[in-house]
Amino acid sequence: MQNDNVKLKNLTIKKFHQGLLNKEFSATEITESFFDSIEEKDNPSANSKQGIGAYLRLTKNLALSQAKEVDIAITQGKNLGILAGVPLAIKDNILIEGQPATAASKNLENYQAAYDATVIKKLKSVGAVILGKTNLDEFAMGSSTENSAFQITRNPNDLERVPGGSSGGSAAAVAADMAIAALGSDTGGSIRQPANFCGVVGLKPTYGAVSRYGLIAMASSLDQIGPIAKTVEDTEILFNAIRGKDPMDSTSVESNPKSKIQNKFQIPNSIIGLPEEYFIEGLVEETSKAINGVIENLKNQGFKFKKISLPHTKYALSSYYIIMPAEASANLARYDGIRYAQLKNLKTERLKDIYFKQRSQGFGTEVKRRIILGTFVLSSGYYDSYYLKAQKVRRLIKDDFDKAFKEVDVILTPVSSTPAFKIGEKTDNPLKMYLSDIFTIPVNLAGLPAISIPVKKYQVSSIKYQGELPIGFQLIGKPFQETDILEIGKSYEKSYNS
Amino acid sequence: MGIIDKKILEYLAELGRIELAESEKSKLLKDLQEILNHFQELEKLETSNIEPMSGGTSQQNIFRADEAKEEKNEKLIESFPEKENSFLKIPPVFE
Repeated sequence: MQNDNVKLKNLTIKKFHQGLLNKEFSATEITESFFDSIEEKDNPSANSKQGIGAYLRLTKNLALSQAKEVDIAITQGKNLGILAGVPLAIKDNILIEGQPATAASKNLENYQAAYDATVIKKLKSVGAVILGKTNLDEFAMGSSTENSAFQITRNPNDLERVPGGSSGGSAAAVAADMAIAALGSDTGGSIRQPANFCGVVGLKPTYGAVSRYGLIAMASSLDQIGPIAKTVEDTEILFNAIRGKDPMDSTSVESNPKSKIQNKFQIPNSIIGLPEEYFIEGLVEETSKAINGVIENLKNQGFKFKKISLPHTKYALSSYYIIMPAEASANLARYDGIRYAQLKNLKTERLKDIYFKQRSQGFGTEVKRRIILGTFVLSSGYYDSYYLKAQKVRRLIKDDFDKAFKEVDVILTPVSSTPAFKIGEKTDNPLKMYLSDIFTIPVNLAGLPAISIPVKKYQVSSIKYQGELPIGFQLIGKPFQETDILEIGKSYEKSYNS
Repeated sequence: MGIIDKKILEYLAELGRIELAESEKSKLLKDLQEILNHFQELEKLETSNIEPMSGGTSQQNIFRADEAKEEKNEKLIESFPEKENSFLKIPPVFE
């Protein structure tokens, strides 16, 4: 068991691939090691200590059959892609055919996916192994994974703290070596914020870079599926495997632009922008220090910095919390208690009664809140002052970024103002919870790519945050220029490995 | 911009096909009012000449050939809670 933990601890996609090719281990062995790791760390009943609770469900039969196929291919001397045999965790709002997909909601407790999401089809075709489905805030609505109808997930760095949300399960699984990498989804920060809280890397691709077919829809003009991994390089590998135009998602776009930003010895005047609106008083000292350390590191590598302004930043939260619930209220209208669900012997006189009963019993408080809010901002008499207004503000926010990107190549910001907060700390006040996403939300409104990268060797040691809590920084890129932010991220990582 | 009261809340719940218990209503009203108060800051922005942004990055319409595709739907029919032949069975719609 101890050997297994050591073996899994620094296992990246590349290292795993090398190990497979060099016959140091088989895909089946590593898959089984991960299941052992999950049993030891994830389940509350396994030990006297609290379990992490990252996984809602394991897909052991699927995983072992996938691993076996890879092992057979190896013995037959077949060529293997880099993701062959790599054990992944998948957020439970992404569909895998024949497997339950609950979106952490009672309304989908018994729903079995009838098809594979496009990203899953792509991963299956390259031989990746799927370990299980991870926990999330119900219907991806939340910033802490506390809104799951089934269980909470604990931050592996401090079990009293949240892993972030809504992709908290995926981020925790990767951080605790219960998967090599994972898929999450990001609508207002739901990949980047948990990656930031758990100390792993999380990428939200440009809107349209990755197909949303098979992602349980929350807000269709904002949602994106993206990778979570331990390193920027792994994140890039997983991103390249899932990206691409898909006829089943008419908003998806084919793209593969070359990066302008080269490595350390060829940096041609790459300029990183620092938006003054993100470096505000609300940042706790630990976050400021961490970000300043990153800036110093990148300066030493030759990157230039420029102060910029994104003047409408503070209005992003309002714009988002009008647009997103509006779209979500429409997307969740389909959960009528008949589709996707088993009726629980409901004897009603009219069809309409089923809707009221099932929806009310099946949805949690936050989901109901957002459906009501969304319905309000779209209703007659309020549409213009809320929804239309929010869409205009969205345009202003996007224009801010477009202007800034004429002067800089990439933008650097914090991911959140504080490290992970305690479980239960913000559940009483929804607005307080929403405010934890102020640095991530504008990116979704503008449709830009952004990555959260853990700050290296940083110890948060103050009275408030005892012990070592991860802090990350965010890089925002131009549309479809994921390569730019990935290259800078890899450059930053390399500087700590040399 | 709006005040949300109990009557409006009940109307919205009706529209959203959600049954709210009495105990849920007062906390929900308080939360929603606090959120709506936050939204008031948007009134400060001059947006009369701004084009609303409705979508994500690529805002072009996409078409495909107008051809019917053969689709298998056994899995979907199997998942109907109640059925008759290949039809979904539900309680009466009319009052």
